[in-house]
Amino acid sequence: MARDYYDALGVSRTASTEELQRAYRKLARQYHPDVNRDPGAEERFKEVSEAYSVLSDPDTRRRYDRFGPDFRQIPEGYEASADTARAGRAGSPFGSGSRVRVDSDSGGRFGAGGIDIDDLLSGLFGSRGAAGPIPGADQEAELELSVEEAYRGGRRRITLSGAGEPVSFEVTIPAGVTDGQRIRVSGAGGQGSGGSTAGDLYLVVRIAPHPRYRVNGRDISVDLLLAPWEGALGATVSVVTPGGEAKVRVPAGTSTGRRLRLRGEGMPNPRGTPGDLYAEVKIMVPRKLTARERELFESLRRDSTFDPRKGT
Amino acid sequence: MTSYSLMRTSRLSLDSFAARAGMHPELVRRFVALGLLEPFRDTSGRLWFAAPQLRAVARIQRLRAGLSVNYAALGLVMDLLDRIEVLEAALRATGSHMPSNAVHSPPSVARFEE
Repeated sequence: MARDYYDALGVSRTASTEELQRAYRKLARQYHPDVNRDPGAEERFKEVSEAYSVLSDPDTRRRYDRFGPDFRQIPEGYEASADTARAGRAGSPFGSGSRVRVDSDSGGRFGAGGIDIDDLLSGLFGSRGAAGPIPGADQEAELELSVEEAYRGGRRRITLSGAGEPVSFEVTIPAGVTDGQRIRVSGAGGQGSGGSTAGDLYLVVRIAPHPRYRVNGRDISVDLLLAPWEGALGATVSVVTPGGEAKVRVPAGTSTGRRLRLRGEGMPNPRGTPGDLYAEVKIMVPRKLTARERELFESLRRDSTFDPRKGT
Repeated sequence: MTSYSLMRTSRLSLDSFAARAGMHPELVRRFVALGLLEPFRDTSGRLWFAAPQLRAVARIQRLRAGLSVNYAALGLVMDLLDRIEVLEAALRATGSHMPSNAVHSPPSVARFEE
């Protein structure tokens, strides 16, 4: 929290009390850990709370303006001696800058509006009154996986950036995890206060777009490129799947667009039936024909009655 | 991966619930009166709490402490947060990306360590 308190709130050093409060309220709503699940939000929330708790109190604000971030090291002893001096001689080593210190216990707690005096629950983030330990909030972060990683699953070491210091931990990715599924990392969420338990971190899985595989839930589609005679006569060809190579039997008379299902060759499912793999046929022709190929295709044109534009 | 500790249908008495929440039992009663917690009431009128309600208490405490949400508004805020959670889960199930956090800042991203 080396950041300047005014910067943290996004206000100028001459901001009025009202401006401070407005900026603080807006940011607090935005970054409160129960509203914003981002792991970075909690740190930001603490930062603005800390900034506001200092700047909303005219006395600590003055000290902060004068001494900067170290003001806490200076004032306690310094002001105590100032108070003694004032009590003794009505003079002050601070000159005109010093005034009678108002104890901030009741006054500058959390702005003016909406405070219950009998609030039994204040002080989540340290600065205001004592409260019992409060468990931390749950957080959420995205985890992008390739199709192959999602297929394999397994125990992986993961780094989470964006929440101040990068943190790393091990997670078990279930084999066949699907897009949008949440993986819970127990205790890796928001910190609890007063020694209470931390919240959980949920990793929301995003399956990255893949040049070959199209994933829909647990089903995977992949293009199956065939020569015209393979489609016409039928063939057994191999297709690469995330789980390795698989054999597809192409029935005779297969045209482009036909979807051949390989049952259970899609994403695995730890709790049930795995997804299917769909091989989507695309009939391809040679870009350039050899003389012999041309001869054969031309004799086919001569002899065939097939017209794909007429109903078959 | 799934933890069952909160799934057990264990019920806590008012006193043990208050102790685990780190609160005075009277404050727990006040939460109940405000409709913020929904305990079971047995035939003798005693209150019993499901363990997951501890999470609700933690959320109440965080919202109180962090945003000074008053008790009357807390019920509304919690209902709205619950509804957002349901909607986000439905969105996730369709594979849609949620704009919620992205509005404020780019969402934190977890990466593999190679």
